[in-house]
Amino acid sequence: MKLIKDKVAKLSFVALLITVTAAMFYVPTASAHGEKSQAAFMRMRTIHWFDMNWSKEEVAVNDTMTISGKFFVFQGWPETVDKPEISFLNVGIPGPVFIRAGSWVGGQLVPRSVSLELGETYEFKVLLKARRPGDWHVHSMMNVQGGGPIIGPGKWVTITGSMKDFVNPVTTLTGETINLETYNLENTYFWHALWYALGLAWLFYWARKPMFVPRSIAVEAGKADSLITSTDKKVALAFAVGTLVIVATSMGATNEKYPITTPLQAGLLRGMKPIEMPARTISVKVDDATYRVPGRAMQMTLTITNNGDSAVRLGEFNTAGVRFLDPAVSVDESGYPDDLLAEEGLTVSDNSPLAPGQSRTVQVTASDAAWEVYRLADLIYDPDSRFAGLLFFYDEAGNRQMITVDAPLIPSFI
Amino acid sequence: MSASQSAVRSRAEAVKVSRTFDWLILFTLFFVVLGGYHIHYMLTGGDWDFWTDWKDRRLWVTVAPIVSITFPAAVQACLWWRYRLPFGAVVCVLGLLLGEWVNRYLNFWGWTYFPVNFCFPSNLMPGAIVLDVILMLGGSVTLTAVVGGLAYGLLFYPGNWPVIAPLHVPVEYNGMMMTLADLQGYHYVRTGTPEYIRMVEKGTLRTFGKDVAPVSAFFSGFVSIIIYFLWHFFGKWFAQTTFISSDDL
Repeated sequence: MKLIKDKVAKLSFVALLITVTAAMFYVPTASAHGEKSQAAFMRMRTIHWFDMNWSKEEVAVNDTMTISGKFFVFQGWPETVDKPEISFLNVGIPGPVFIRAGSWVGGQLVPRSVSLELGETYEFKVLLKARRPGDWHVHSMMNVQGGGPIIGPGKWVTITGSMKDFVNPVTTLTGETINLETYNLENTYFWHALWYALGLAWLFYWARKPMFVPRSIAVEAGKADSLITSTDKKVALAFAVGTLVIVATSMGATNEKYPITTPLQAGLLRGMKPIEMPARTISVKVDDATYRVPGRAMQMTLTITNNGDSAVRLGEFNTAGVRFLDPAVSVDESGYPDDLLAEEGLTVSDNSPLAPGQSRTVQVTASDAAWEVYRLADLIYDPDSRFAGLLFFYDEAGNRQMITVDAPLIPSFI
Repeated sequence: MSASQSAVRSRAEAVKVSRTFDWLILFTLFFVVLGGYHIHYMLTGGDWDFWTDWKDRRLWVTVAPIVSITFPAAVQACLWWRYRLPFGAVVCVLGLLLGEWVNRYLNFWGWTYFPVNFCFPSNLMPGAIVLDVILMLGGSVTLTAVVGGLAYGLLFYPGNWPVIAPLHVPVEYNGMMMTLADLQGYHYVRTGTPEYIRMVEKGTLRTFGKDVAPVSAFFSGFVSIIIYFLWHFFGKWFAQTTFISSDDL
């Protein structure tokens, strides 16, 4: 019995050692943002990001890059999510690995929250300045009050160099150029150290004398008043007066040094300018839609009517940032992230040009592992099991038309 | 040695043991208060204390003293009425500031690389010193609550102004005016803290034009008076020894 016990103990010890060693040698970086965990309907039925462009894949510390593109505020916004009346254009990065040097919606700088209209398409751009070296997943992102962060597509970007070289020069309206990275740091340390030292001095003034046991006995014996001497009172008065004097003089000196200060700026920016989209000449009716769980494919029956004056073909289905393309019609040349791109993921039963005035019912299949990888298939477990997305049609001249679809989705488990 | 015999054999030994107890209790008190007060302040003061772009002249001035006078009032009640020790407020703020600085330096800067000049804590020490001194000189809860609580609220903004003023210098940025603190909030990306949850410069305090900070400080002082009373009695209740039978002593 003892032999078995010893063996178990020895093996347990070896297992523990192996576990600790493995943990020491395998320390992966958590660099993503839980984008796959966000409810599928949130990603499919709120903000549709498209025409995304990351200007660089590798950038040195202090250099800049941009994320730009367009987003469509879906008119079939879910009831369970607050409308984007108060929203903030953000970027999904692991902390300030970049600084946000600028962000624009419809050409307007948006350092503050904005109000967006359902059914409108906006152009956006975020200018980022590299700060911390590493490989980072860089997403577009829209925070919506009452809705949470709605994350857009992400792409890996490498920052090279050293963070100690990072500078963030800013010129104030008083004409001073400062490095915001380190500005006011010494001043902060000085005042905190000074006040901490004063607090410690007060504490140690009392701690140098017997504290708890004898004082408790004295208080219990009714001799509490004898515990505070006249010297104690004088010292206390000096501390109080000293505190008031330091506060008053430091405030006065600060006002002299910084005569011009303004309150923090806040407030909602309204009137964001949407893009004037061309008049829609194509109408699409979703007759039915199913998601085949074993095949990781979504099948839609669409009735497409072309009311324009040029024949059109369906080239792309875009939902939650995942792009399903029919390579015969549409090819990505923007360097879109591979994991979000199904270059041959769109199959149309009859994708011959649909002539003006014609109507056709087709079977459209969007299939790719991205349904599972990006957990879009979890849509079938959502309380409002509807899907939505953007269809891009191309005419003979290469002009593109964007049509939205929004319909119930029936899962198929066999 | 029987149970009735003393553990010490001379007065000198008794003094030595008593001093050892003093330091043990002070050490324990410091870190227990640090933990409790820090969690309390992070949950109630939170972002107002974390970020410079939340440290405004209305809500930061109002909220921070109200939620931070709590532990000082309670610890004062214990240390003063049981031991006549007037450092309850200061020991709390020393603990809180140490905890906050460790958190800001190691977590905010060390792990997530937010610059320290963007996430330093508020300074609560002037109010704490005055609170302790008023309790000691007056020896009255009412006086400490009314005068000390008011002073605690009033001293907060001027006590922090030397550190915060440089960040309220205006800057023109891509055609918009903002303060350097606003710019820090904009530059240093916080994915979980969008701009709209920033509770700054909100309210209807418009009558006083640009001089709203003193009004906010007075309001904060008035509410601090009430909170002081409340938490002082919490402290007194926690410091009671009625649950220890005299036979056990």
